[in-house]
Amino acid sequence: MKYKGNILEVNNLTLSLLDKNGVPVTILNDLTFHLRSGEILGLIGDSGSGKTMTALAISGLLNDFAHIDSGEILFEEEDLVKKAPRERRRLLGEKIGVIFQDPSSALDPLQTVESNLQEVLSIRNCSKEESRERILRMLATVGFEDPEDIAKRYPHRLSGGQRQRVLIAGAALMNPTLLIADEPTSSLDTVTSMSIMHLLHEMSHEMGISILFISHNLSAVRNFCDRVMVMKEGTIIDSDTSWDIMGQPKSAFTADLLMKSRLDPKTLGISRGKTNPDGPVVLEATRLTSSYRYKDVRRNKTNAVIKNINFKIHEGELVGLIGSSGCGKTTLVKTILGLLKPSSGEVSHEGRIAAVFQDPVSSLNPAHTVRWHLREALKASGRVISKEEQTAYFISILEDVGLTGKHLYRFPHQMSGGQRQKAAIAMCLVQEPSFIIADEPFSALDASSQASIIKLLSDINKERGTTMLIVSHNLQVIRAMCSNVLVMDKGSIVEAGFTDDVLENPSAEATKALIEAGEYGG
Amino acid sequence: MSSTVRATLTKVCEFLLTTLLVSFFTFAAFSIIPGDPARIMLGTEASEEQVEQLRVELGLNEPLAERYVKWLDNAFRGDFGTSLSFNTSVGDLISSRLPVTLGMSLIALIIVLLVSFPMAAICSKRPGKPLDKALSCAGHILFAIPPFALSMMLILFSANVLGIFTAGRYTAPSVNFGSYLSSLLLPSFCIALPKIAMTFKFLRASMIEYSQGDFVRTAKSHGLTDLRIMMKHIIPNSMVSSVTVISLVLSDIMGGSLIVEQVFNLPGLGRLLLTSIARRDFPLLSGIVFYLALITVILYFLADLISALIDPRIRDRRNV
Repeated sequence: MKYKGNILEVNNLTLSLLDKNGVPVTILNDLTFHLRSGEILGLIGDSGSGKTMTALAISGLLNDFAHIDSGEILFEEEDLVKKAPRERRRLLGEKIGVIFQDPSSALDPLQTVESNLQEVLSIRNCSKEESRERILRMLATVGFEDPEDIAKRYPHRLSGGQRQRVLIAGAALMNPTLLIADEPTSSLDTVTSMSIMHLLHEMSHEMGISILFISHNLSAVRNFCDRVMVMKEGTIIDSDTSWDIMGQPKSAFTADLLMKSRLDPKTLGISRGKTNPDGPVVLEATRLTSSYRYKDVRRNKTNAVIKNINFKIHEGELVGLIGSSGCGKTTLVKTILGLLKPSSGEVSHEGRIAAVFQDPVSSLNPAHTVRWHLREALKASGRVISKEEQTAYFISILEDVGLTGKHLYRFPHQMSGGQRQKAAIAMCLVQEPSFIIADEPFSALDASSQASIIKLLSDINKERGTTMLIVSHNLQVIRAMCSNVLVMDKGSIVEAGFTDDVLENPSAEATKALIEAGEYGG
Repeated sequence: MSSTVRATLTKVCEFLLTTLLVSFFTFAAFSIIPGDPARIMLGTEASEEQVEQLRVELGLNEPLAERYVKWLDNAFRGDFGTSLSFNTSVGDLISSRLPVTLGMSLIALIIVLLVSFPMAAICSKRPGKPLDKALSCAGHILFAIPPFALSMMLILFSANVLGIFTAGRYTAPSVNFGSYLSSLLLPSFCIALPKIAMTFKFLRASMIEYSQGDFVRTAKSHGLTDLRIMMKHIIPNSMVSSVTVISLVLSDIMGGSLIVEQVFNLPGLGRLLLTSIARRDFPLLSGIVFYLALITVILYFLADLISALIDPRIRDRRNV
């Protein structure tokens, strides 16, 4: 029997977080909203606006540094703030399900998928056979074709999208009345994220689950949520049905957020890179195949992740590489960079290659300043610049990427995600590469930072003439900035050519699917 | 051939190769060090003929490689030669002393694990709180006390105040297993205490790290109690990183037994080692050193196997 009326009411919730010096900082300020039974409510805002804290406060997973100062959280008319921690934990297993942003480490690496999911049912006194059967059925429900195989796997043998599906299966297994989804798709590619949203939508309708859907991407929730709230600095500043909010945003902030999340080339001030089909070839891959060998209990097989890849990139081109997750994009990048040895075929390139990776947090050394990173990059490139001139040179590079001289002595943790990514790009520039590979350089960033990194890479291509290969699942970005496009599917390049030719007249099924998903979510 | 079998076989080959290298270096070390063993053994008073005779007896005149092969061949059959000072077979001597050292080390390891895991689990639950601080502080103090000082304090305390332990009494396991264990308990405790501090410190850090991890958050969202999360997720995961540390601790324990055996007057390998050094008993010395090295190699081999057993990622990586 599902609950009728407002399943969740948050009234005047104020929450503060202790900073490094133990001084409380207000994160949620007099937050008030409600969620009707069976409704999907979107909560949108930039990073740092308090979205995740809202999710954690409702689910009762706040850490020791957070403190609820005042207000109430009514779940089925009972105030959660007043409940004892034990009771709240029990509620989590029974009525409130949570899925989080980053599925990469959200499953215990030492346990199989089945064992990870089994714990949901273990507190419900399910027999072994029954719980096994329910797990397999749920895995099929969330879209796995071979649930038996998935159940036996360990998390490191699943892709990001597959892990998120497993986590959704976990949340759905407990048959909750409320599901809190905190950016469940932002680390996934467009096609996967569309299917995850479809799945959540279906579950909400079939099982009557109310969903609080948190995202930083306004247009992504357009077709998905019944209502949308926009959050800024810990309060709701705008709230309406999703259609109205997209059509006529009431506040300037919402309008701005909407524009940024659309990544419109005009407002970003970028134009497409130039094609150069007759220019010298900078990078060429011939019959490139790379494979991972891994153990399988039943079949001992080698898995070719990329197969027979052929392409040429000419000087000055800005090439986009698109494809759904697990299609082998990252493996291709690793093979080009020489981090993986190809099992057959070869890559040849002219000049120096530099790389920018998806996650600027883990690609910088937390123990060192930006200056150290730049010097390392300089050393690696073999260029020699005298000590006296180094500082001035580094500052000029930092200014080129939109940072300032004061960032030279910052540690990675003292900068935002966007600034860190800029520092990583500065490390590339210091090496004066003829070719830059950027593997999903925007996807870990919020909308505003994304826009600035896109602009920066596009400018570097134009002003310095650096050839680039940009891997992204964001079709809008690729369309806006790239001269050429490579489309990958299941380890092969299925389509390649000028951006317009490929995206306006797609011939491969994979390209069509990507374009469709891009229009839905983006 | 399945890849699991192949991976295990590779591991076993690595193990055998390491053992062989260890044996060679042990042997070579005692041959290369300056001084003629025969002369040292017989003293300055002995005549050249006597020394020469002993050299022939010990086979010292043959080339190093030949002597090594012969030694290895014998060692393979469990024959490490005859001790010069005890005049009995080295193998017999070692096997009569091994139960003391091994037993003590195992008991010490069990104590270390039994104490440090719960201690780390309690502290990691509320890091920085008074209980954590108190236990961490106690750990530091234990770590700082030298084992011999601790041993003597414990002997005095338990023998004089409690009257439950008589220092220097040892019963062989074949005679009475119960009193064998009880005679080793206190010395094991002395070895264990500083190691508890070390293991605890490491475990606490890794448990704190894991308890803030994403999969623990998932488990919480599944409604699991803290105790179940600790048992099902945090402890197994911190086991992976601690297996190596624990194997290091265990080889440290074996080394640490040397001093404690001396203080407690126990007939273990450590004391035998000291005796053999004092008496320049080279066959015995190289036999013991080889044994200790072998045990260390076995420990690391086991640590590798255990971590692969716990962690599927290690199993997969190994087959790449």
